[in-house]
Amino acid sequence: MSAANATAGSPPLTVDALRCEGLTKAFQGVHAVNGAAFEVPEGKITALIGPNGAGKTTVVNILSGAMSSDSGRVFLGDTEITNWPAYKIARQGLLRTFQLSRELGGLTVLENLLAAPAVQAGDSLVNVLFRPGLVRRQERENAERALELLEVYRLYRHRDTRARELSGGQKKLLEIARAVMASPKLLLLDEPMAGVNPALIEVIGEYILDLKRSGVTVMMIEHNLGIVEKICDHVVVLAEGRTLATGSMSELRSNTAVVSAYLGEVINAGAAH
Amino acid sequence: MLYYVFTLVFFLFDYFILAMGLNIQYGATGILNFAYIGFVAVGAYMTGVAGMPSNITGQHYILGLGLPFPLNTLFGGLSAMAMAVIVALITLRRLRTDYLAIVLISLSLVLYDFCNNFVPLFNGADGLYNVPAPLTKALGLNVNSFIVVFACVTGVVALILWFVMARVTNAPLGRSLRAIRDDSTVAGALGKDVFRMQLKSMLIGSFYAGIGGGLLIQFGGSFNPTAWLPGETFVVFAVLIVGGAGNNIGMFVGALLVETLLIHLPAFLPEIPGHPGLIEYIDSALVGIVLMVMLWTRPQGIVPERVRRAVTFGVPDRPEIDARELGSAEVLGAPVAAATEGAK
Ligand SMILES: Nc1ncnc2c1ncn2[C@@H]1O[C@H](COP(=O)(O)OP(=O)(O)OP(=O)(O)O)[C@@H](O)[C@H]1O
Ligand SMILES: [Mg+2]
Repeated sequence: MSAANATAGSPPLTVDALRCEGLTKAFQGVHAVNGAAFEVPEGKITALIGPNGAGKTTVVNILSGAMSSDSGRVFLGDTEITNWPAYKIARQGLLRTFQLSRELGGLTVLENLLAAPAVQAGDSLVNVLFRPGLVRRQERENAERALELLEVYRLYRHRDTRARELSGGQKKLLEIARAVMASPKLLLLDEPMAGVNPALIEVIGEYILDLKRSGVTVMMIEHNLGIVEKICDHVVVLAEGRTLATGSMSELRSNTAVVSAYLGEVINAGAAH
Repeated sequence: MLYYVFTLVFFLFDYFILAMGLNIQYGATGILNFAYIGFVAVGAYMTGVAGMPSNITGQHYILGLGLPFPLNTLFGGLSAMAMAVIVALITLRRLRTDYLAIVLISLSLVLYDFCNNFVPLFNGADGLYNVPAPLTKALGLNVNSFIVVFACVTGVVALILWFVMARVTNAPLGRSLRAIRDDSTVAGALGKDVFRMQLKSMLIGSFYAGIGGGLLIQFGGSFNPTAWLPGETFVVFAVLIVGGAGNNIGMFVGALLVETLLIHLPAFLPEIPGHPGLIEYIDSALVGIVLMVMLWTRPQGIVPERVRRAVTFGVPDRPEIDARELGSAEVLGAPVAAATEGAK
């Protein structure tokens, strides 16, 4: 494929980490998602924007397997993952966070991270009973990496705290750190900056850029268009469950009248925040 | 006197085993197994019919394999696991916790009626009796010395099972179960096969239920439907809640307080003159009261679930980072708006 591109002299083709087409999902007659279709380019940060109730979270739920779609298809790279169970999708390297932080409350902050690697020797009863050395070694390696991540995500001090005791901002950080601990190829962040103070928004923005630099593809739901402008390479606009437009922020601005009217509304909503 | 003490010792260790089994299902995984006593009964009956010869007159039962101890007990434990597979396939895949609990209660009632009325299985309402007392021939025991020896054997079995359970609950497996208990959607999103994990938890717990039941039938020499009225499940839950859900040592403490001191010790007290059976009523009421008081005042139990500290994973502490992080107070320390619906 790349050879063909080279001979044609065209710019290198962008590869899509994720692609979905014709997704629909209705809740008791309410069409939350109604034909959404878009691509998430690999190695970039994509924003999924749209007004409240546009179906953004529902789309993430479908992509990550937390919900099944009524119709439509999802591809992760070349693999079709439509309506796979969540755990299988996670094992393919697609990790997601939740709009309302969902910490594993009874586990410590460190344990929240240790729970993240999908496949662990110590999840098997046979290994636990008969290969304790292997299990202990893997635990120590994972713990070392988890503690490094906690240091980066400013939660090291709280490593032994039960996660339910964290503040709202700390839970937001834990949510991201836990997904990162699972070594994602593609990370779907559902409003990672919602409800946190401005200083922390800056910090989280840096974390997301760092993830991109380390090769992780990111898609994030975000209402604040200032942030989208600043850190996102690609934007998908969702409205009433449909993809209204895709492109860079500047492309979207110069898009058709209908779209700009719509985007204007979104921008106003964003500015109000 | 010795007889009394060792009877109490037996029940202490047997309920320690039973509580550990329920603890991995409920305390670690969050599965409200209200049919738990059904698994204990399957273990007891199957141990009975595995150990009894096929030709005892006056009793009707299946198998009659004549297996010696401890093979018969192991057979009981495995039978309870087999039932767990069936129950899990029916219930776990489809049902949320609360519905699951209701379905499990119903299942235990169906099982109860079936065992009570279908005589060819386990001799119906009369149940099994004259179950061979293990080790008596080999060690030349009489009725009283059997009690002492078997209470000690049960203690050894309990310690082995505790060692195994501690290893499981401290392992990544135990942590994955607790992750499922806290939020199964998150566990799934992290790549945990929730159904498979819950099934493992059910299987391990049922094995403990079966072994505990198997020891019970051999200690008393008989087992019938009055021994496992569905309400008995709540005695095991009382042991678990008083001791501290999620803590194996708590199960021992709970067994000591609830099973030994509240339920069995009063049975040895002299009857109150003119009120036969009153003590028995008082102590069931007492279990209920203790349970309520615990849930109100100390829901985490006497020995709460352990915090597994970072140092226990073999990575040394680095206090200098603790100090450096204080610099982030202006970022994290400021009051943070509840992370609600974003832009609203
Ligand atoms: N589990 C559910 N049951 C019923 N209706 C739902 C469910 N989840 C979402 N909806 C409805 O589907 C629509 C889309 O919801 P969704 O949460 O996907 O929107 P969103 O774009 O994420 O909005 P927000 O910006 O507020 O987070 C809304 O009308 C919502 O009420
Ligand atoms: Mg949302």
